[in-house]
Parts: sequence; structure tokens; C-alpha cells
Amino acid sequence: MYGYTGKCLRVDLTAGRTRVESIDGSTIEKWVGGVGFAAKRLSDEVPAGMEWDEPANPLIWATGPLAGTKVSGAGTFNVAAKGPMTNLAGVSQANGFFGAYMKFSGFDEMVIQGRSEGLVYLVLKDGTAEIRDASHLRGMDVWEVEDALREELKVKEKQVSVFGIGPSGENLVRYACIVGDRGHVAAHNGLGAVMGSKGLKAVVAYRGKPSFEVADPARLEEKSRELAEFAKGFGVFNEWGTGGGFSVLHGMGCLPVKNYTTNIFPEHEQMNGQYLRSHFKVSSKPCFRCSLAHVKEVEVTEGPYQGFVGEEPEYEQLAAWGPLIGNTDLGATVMMTKEVDRLGLDCNEASWTIAWAMECYEKGALSKKDLDGLDLSWGNVESAKALLTKIAHRDGIGDLLAEGVMRASRKIGGAAADWAIYTHKGCSPRNHDHRGARWYELLDTCVTNTSTLESTWSGIHPQLVDQDGPSDPFSPEEVSTINARFNGIRQFDDTLGTCRIASSSPKLQLDCLNAVTGWNLGLKDAFQIGLRIINQLRMFNIRHGLKREDERPSTRYGSVPVDGPAQGKDIMAEWESMLTNYYTLMGWDPATGYPLPETLESLELGDLARNL
Amino acid sequence: MARVCVELCLWLGRELGPDFDRISEMCSTRTERVDPGATISELMSSLAAGYPLVRQRVFDPNRKRFNPHVVVKFNDRLINPKVVHRETLQDGDKITVLPIYSGG
Repeated sequence: MYGYTGKCLRVDLTAGRTRVESIDGSTIEKWVGGVGFAAKRLSDEVPAGMEWDEPANPLIWATGPLAGTKVSGAGTFNVAAKGPMTNLAGVSQANGFFGAYMKFSGFDEMVIQGRSEGLVYLVLKDGTAEIRDASHLRGMDVWEVEDALREELKVKEKQVSVFGIGPSGENLVRYACIVGDRGHVAAHNGLGAVMGSKGLKAVVAYRGKPSFEVADPARLEEKSRELAEFAKGFGVFNEWGTGGGFSVLHGMGCLPVKNYTTNIFPEHEQMNGQYLRSHFKVSSKPCFRCSLAHVKEVEVTEGPYQGFVGEEPEYEQLAAWGPLIGNTDLGATVMMTKEVDRLGLDCNEASWTIAWAMECYEKGALSKKDLDGLDLSWGNVESAKALLTKIAHRDGIGDLLAEGVMRASRKIGGAAADWAIYTHKGCSPRNHDHRGARWYELLDTCVTNTSTLESTWSGIHPQLVDQDGPSDPFSPEEVSTINARFNGIRQFDDTLGTCRIASSSPKLQLDCLNAVTGWNLGLKDAFQIGLRIINQLRMFNIRHGLKREDERPSTRYGSVPVDGPAQGKDIMAEWESMLTNYYTLMGWDPATGYPLPETLESLELGDLARNL
Repeated sequence: MARVCVELCLWLGRELGPDFDRISEMCSTRTERVDPGATISELMSSLAAGYPLVRQRVFDPNRKRFNPHVVVKFNDRLINPKVVHRETLQDGDKITVLPIYSGG
């Protein structure tokens, strides 16, 4: 089959064995790859009641038909498992090189189960896999692991892609993530903790030679070039990175400032992407075959961290380690970004947790003694850095905070329980203040079935799929309607194995997909496949205990902004009507959020309908 | 006459030309004079008539509505774009236009 190796690697860490299975054509056509393969695999292999840290919980790595092709940014892959943050499905995506190299090594998918007695790593090369001892890597951060394995395997930088866990994953921090290729992260829902629970420190994939064919190479050449050109002109990413929207978000009341206690951050123009790229020394670090090259390395040129070199903070890291914790030094955000990645922690959950602890410190709910002597005043980045290390090692107060902000705030209780930002499913939002003109993303964060975004797309761009945009971002009916109608295209995108930023036109992506596979899919088919994945994951989550009352924000996350451009906007006054409208338009029971049998039948999920 | 500041934060600086003050990479401003009591819609229609780029990217004077991909602030508070017909202008008012779904 064009575009695929047709192989899935099975790894049993308990037995120390691997084997290769075939992926049949009907599975490929129905689920495409990436999140699609993950949705099917989770549903088939994780029964109700299985806990996230059980050896049988499969850690699924899956790439897609465009991975490893000429499409710009074709090094992307998905990781999935039942996740520790939500105890529901967790699916996360990472860019870099691994998606391409895994495919070059001979595999579209990898399913890892069991638990090794000692720490191990896995090597993928030329259609084979080998489990090796990793006891010498214990305690290393993810950058050290990459260096150590490249030296051990005697390979140069681009010959292998390495993704692994830091001390956070080894210590089962609930929001540990999987990091590789110098700063690319599968961040959400604690997949690094799942990896740690299996005793797996890292996976190495060799570059190798492509073991799949392309149906129409000439057309792929033409369409991939068009797609790359489109991406360069789309939004501000090419020129200013994802931080280019930082000040816009401030203007929309969407910058998270001091744990949502204010919406005003006068220093925003000294911390945005425009300032960073015009003041710091910047060099490109593109992902696999990416012509957009929005990923950069930077050297700080001013302030207390002058001379520090690290990856350029993406928007979310700028927000997390800037306004959210009350820091106004841009260089410090570079330092914190590298620190959180090296330790293998999810930047979002780590920053919501630390910002909440800072508010607790300010208001007396946590004392300096409670914090092991740390002065956690707003903007104290060195204390924040020390706290990250404590969290990663579950040391002192770090043991509580390693549980994430929802669980930590419930443990502390009292008024402090109301200051934490999370959804009642247990996952955290991306680093915005969604109470501003991003109600659509607040809704998505609460109703998603993957623990990360589902119906939105780093913003939503209905014009790209021939739909109308909203006229009022605070209209509950418009917001919930647009989310439902846009739903599906993002999940389809996550099946393909390409970066969203480098390939931001769904229509051109489809042209590339058809050139690679010989298929003839259109937008309608793409939405249908995406909606199938969403409903499959939703049925999985329902089987694992999801209820309507879980799909809402915490008290602070859904509170009314006290100042700034969105002052007085009250999303919770509209919440139930938004949720009901969304459920209805998705073809779900408006009272429970369960997919209706006819919805499942229309998506070729009849078996699930009968089980319902 | 009332003086009203129109701030366009849409990265149009180079394209808008010298009639607008470019205050950052993202934002350009222009002070317009209107009759007291004029509406936001009337002001934006007048601006769109003079500047094709405003007509193309910001405000449709025929339909009397903002482009659906922008958000609007009136005196630093986000407003429903549909109120432009009834919101009247006073000396010193400020209208800010931002892209609705951008970045991050």
C-alpha cells in the first residue's frame, strides 16, 4: 500500500521480546494513521477499569502516510495511552524527526506493553527492534540521554532521532512528557509517566532508507511545494514564530497573567516574538524537511541570563514563564523553557501548578516552610526553577505538586482550591486566558476527548475549509456551533504525520495525501474520518467513566475577568446552553453527551452503537 | 468635531502608507474627526471609503459590518461587533481592531 510500511512493532517489556505484525488495508483506510490508529488501538486493548500504570496499558506511537515524504515538516508522530492526568484517553503529538525515522526504520506504528525489571531503551533500525539495558541512563535529563545514546551508538546528530523521558518520567510525575530531538515534546496527559511506569527510558530510531512507495511522485513534488509556500504566507509564524501573536492575545484579554488574577500585562511588547527575534541571536533548527523553519535556537543578549543558549520559547512557553508567573524578563523564559524540557515536564501543567503555588504563597495558603524554604513571590524565576527540580524528583513539596494542580489544590483545600486552573477531567488548558476572546478554546479544552485540543487548531480558521467565521467571540451559540462544525479536520490532520504549522492548508494537505497514497479523498471525507476518530475516543472515554459534569472548567478557569478588555464577560452563565448546543450538533445526546446510535452508524462505528 | 483614535493591530503598517502612524510592527493608528454622535459604523465606513486595504481587511461599508476575522475594542473593552450601529462616538474615544484567531 502506497505511503505505508504496513507494519506495527509489538514490544513486550515484561518478556523482553519484540515482534512485527501487519496492519491490514481496511484498518489503514478507515483510520489513516496517527491519532486514528491510536483511537482504534485504545478501544481494542484497554478495557474499562484498567489503570494508567498497569503494564498492559499500551503506549502507542503512530505516524502517518505523509511522514517521511517530501511534505514540509513530515517528521511528526502521535503518542497515546490511557493517561494519568484524566484516567481517560491521552493523545499527544510531537514534531522533529522521529515520525519520519520510525517509518524509515520500517514501522507505521509501535505498541509497547509490559514492564521491564530494569531500565531499558529501544533501538529501531532496518525493520528490526532491540531492547537494551539503560541502567547507565537513570536520572539523566532528556538532553543528556540524547547525547549519551549518540555517543554510545557512535552516530552523528541527524543519523538517529531519540525521544525519551527525564527524571520526571522515571519518578512518575503525573504530567511527565516524552521529549526528543532537542526540545520537541509529546506533552499532554502524562505519557512520559506511562513510559516511566514501563521502565522504558528512550526510543532511538535510525534514519535508514524509506521502506514505502509514493503513488505519484511528480504530483507530490508539485503539491508539497504549493503547501510549503502557503504555510510561509499564513499567519505570523514564518516571520515571528508562534510568539508573534503574543501581543495580539494581550489585546484580546487572552494572555494568562498571574494565575488569572489580572488581565493586564504592560510589558507584553518586551516579551513577544517580534521583540525576541529582533533582539536575541537566532538560528534555525528546522524539523525534518521543513522549509518554514519556525523552530529556532536563541542566545539571550540582555538581562540577567545574557549568554544563555536554548531553544526559542514557543508562544505557550513565553506565556507560561512570563506573565503567568509574573516574570517580565524575556531571557528568563528561555532559561525556564530549557529547564522544563530537560526535566521532561509538560510546560503547561507545570506552569499552572507553579503559578497557583505562587498565588498560594502571596495569600498565605502556602508558607515558605511549606515550600521547603523557597521564596515563591511572583516573578521569582530562580525559585520557580528550583521548584521544577523538586517536582521532577518528587522531593519535599515537589511530591504534592507532581500530582498536578487539580489534585494538589484539592489536597490543600480551603479557598486555595478555587484558585487552580484545570478542567474537571483533570487536564490543563494551553497557556492562554480563554476567558478573553477565546471562549471557543475554553469549550474545546473541556470537551476534548484526547486531553489536548480537538475541535480547534491553534485558533480556528473556518475559511480554510469553506466555512464562515464567527461575528461575535462571546456569543455562546456562535462559539459552540462553530466548534461543532469545524470539528473533525484537526483530528484528520493528526492522522497524517505532518506539522500543523508547516502544512496549514487542509485542501493542499489532501492533495499531497492523494498523491502519496493514490486515494481520492476530499474535504468531506477528511471531516468524516476526523469525526469517526472523535466518536471512537468518546466512546472509549465513556467506557472509562466520562460524564457530562466532568466537561466544565474549574472555578478559576471559568471565572469572570476582573479587569482588562474582557472584564465582566461571564462564560459560566452560558455554559450549560453552550454544552447542550455542542452536544446536539455533534449528534450526541444533549443530556449525557453520549453519541447517538445513528451518529455512530453514520461513521461506520456500528459495533460501538450496539455496545452502547 | 470629535477626535477619535482608530488603532489597527493587524500587521498592515507597511501597506497602509504614511496616513497612518506605525507605532509597532503590529499596530498603526490614525486620528479621525467625526461629528459628535456619529456611530462607529459611520466612522469605519468613511475610513473604508478612503483606504481600500481597510475595506478589504477590516470593514465592509456596504454591509456595515466588520470582517468576521477581527475583534473590536471600544475604549479598551472588547465589544460585540454588532453594536457598531448604535455605539456613538465622543471626543477622545478609541477603536482598536485585532485579528480574532491568531497565534499561540
